[in-house]
Amino acid sequence: MAGRWQWLHRLGSPRWFYATTTRWLPWLAGAMALLLAVGTVWALLYLPPDYQQGDTSRILVVHVAVAGASLSFFPLMAVAGTVTLVWRIKLADMVAKNAAPLGAWFSFLTLATGSIWGSVSWGTWWEWTDSRLVSMLFQFFLLLGVISLRAALDNSATAARACALLSIVGCINVVVIKYSVQWWNTLHQPPSPISMQVGSPNGPEFWVATAIMAVAVYLFLALSLILATRNEILERESKAQWVRELALGAT
Amino acid sequence: MSRVSAAAAFCATLKRDLLISIKRRNEVLNPFMFFLIVVSLFPLGISPEGAMLRQIAAGVIWIAVLLASMLSMDSLYRSDYEDGSLEQLLLSSQPLYLLVFAKNIAHWLVSGLPVIVVSPLLAYMLSLPAAGYPALVLSLLLGVPVVGMVGSIAVALTVGLGSRGLILAVIAVPMSVPVLIFGTLAVQNSLAGASPVGYLALLGAMLAAAASLAPVATAAALRIALHG
Repeated sequence: MAGRWQWLHRLGSPRWFYATTTRWLPWLAGAMALLLAVGTVWALLYLPPDYQQGDTSRILVVHVAVAGASLSFFPLMAVAGTVTLVWRIKLADMVAKNAAPLGAWFSFLTLATGSIWGSVSWGTWWEWTDSRLVSMLFQFFLLLGVISLRAALDNSATAARACALLSIVGCINVVVIKYSVQWWNTLHQPPSPISMQVGSPNGPEFWVATAIMAVAVYLFLALSLILATRNEILERESKAQWVRELALGAT
Repeated sequence: MSRVSAAAAFCATLKRDLLISIKRRNEVLNPFMFFLIVVSLFPLGISPEGAMLRQIAAGVIWIAVLLASMLSMDSLYRSDYEDGSLEQLLLSSQPLYLLVFAKNIAHWLVSGLPVIVVSPLLAYMLSLPAAGYPALVLSLLLGVPVVGMVGSIAVALTVGLGSRGLILAVIAVPMSVPVLIFGTLAVQNSLAGASPVGYLALLGAMLAAAASLAPVATAAALRIALHG
């Protein structure tokens, strides 16, 4: 039975993670830069103005991509938290620790891009009756709660497990909040069905641009998280032999 | 060594916590008075007119309940932590979630129930129409225990912290949002002449979920906070 999870522990070795991501980073960064450039140029120069929204629909290419990515943080932190609680793998906590501020930042970006778009399309920067705005706001607050719990606990092992539990509870809570605020009449348009017809609302010229942007944003998310986790590894493992050798080799 | 049944341990914990609350009346009374004061600030701050108050009455009471329970929960595990009896609860052979559940019930009896009992009076002072009273009291009966049990997780996570007053609220208040929404919607609905039963049923479902899951999470949180 003990051997069954050995692969997880090997995968969870900070040293292995550091070495592997060193090889991945150029590829990830290159792919992200390429897709981001293609998506941005497409959205700004080649996407025809929407028949109703005009040029503001270009904001949606970024907004939808960022919003989608920001929803992945609580599930990510809950999974990392479960790994922390069950197997006590430090790497999972290093990822979770850096995911919380990044998630708060993504939630903020979603709210910001959404209200800029809303100020033109809806005529208002903020609308309480829209369930997605409100639930995103409370996801933002819950992430701030995880960050401040981490900051308040001195012992890093206790903080890791406490934040892991809070992330799991928060992940369930975000879903409940999401559905409870949906009981109000909602202003937010339901997701438009994608269409293969060029020129129709949400036709391929729009959703392909959004899809490219979404992949770029996910790559950005992965890249930021990996870079932050690498810093965390160097800091926490600063007494380990391989980190010393790495530091000496660099100077 | 005689074996104590889980039911006996549950009753002993409940009785002990009730006794302690009676001995330390101030810890129970202060959040309650805070609740009364917060509610009475709204007419002064917003408008003394009945037409305005009627619309916000349910929300004001619900928000004041949330804030007051943040204050009263602060002492939920603190004195037990300081005098070491929390450590004894963790070491006992009884299931911890059951003892936590007993503590939650005791806390609800001394801090939740009084608030619910005076809520019709406050609702009258805020000129809530008579049609809203049953929904208000029922929603508080179903919702306040949910706030207490979910908040109890946050209290347990922060139990070892010296000064944690605000962090508890930062973590626990956003989690209580669904209860606030359904509690006020139930009242608004019955004021509009519709049935509040749907929203009350949702609150009941939350209570069932919280009662079965939250004590387990609180027990885990206590073990984390005390033993890392």
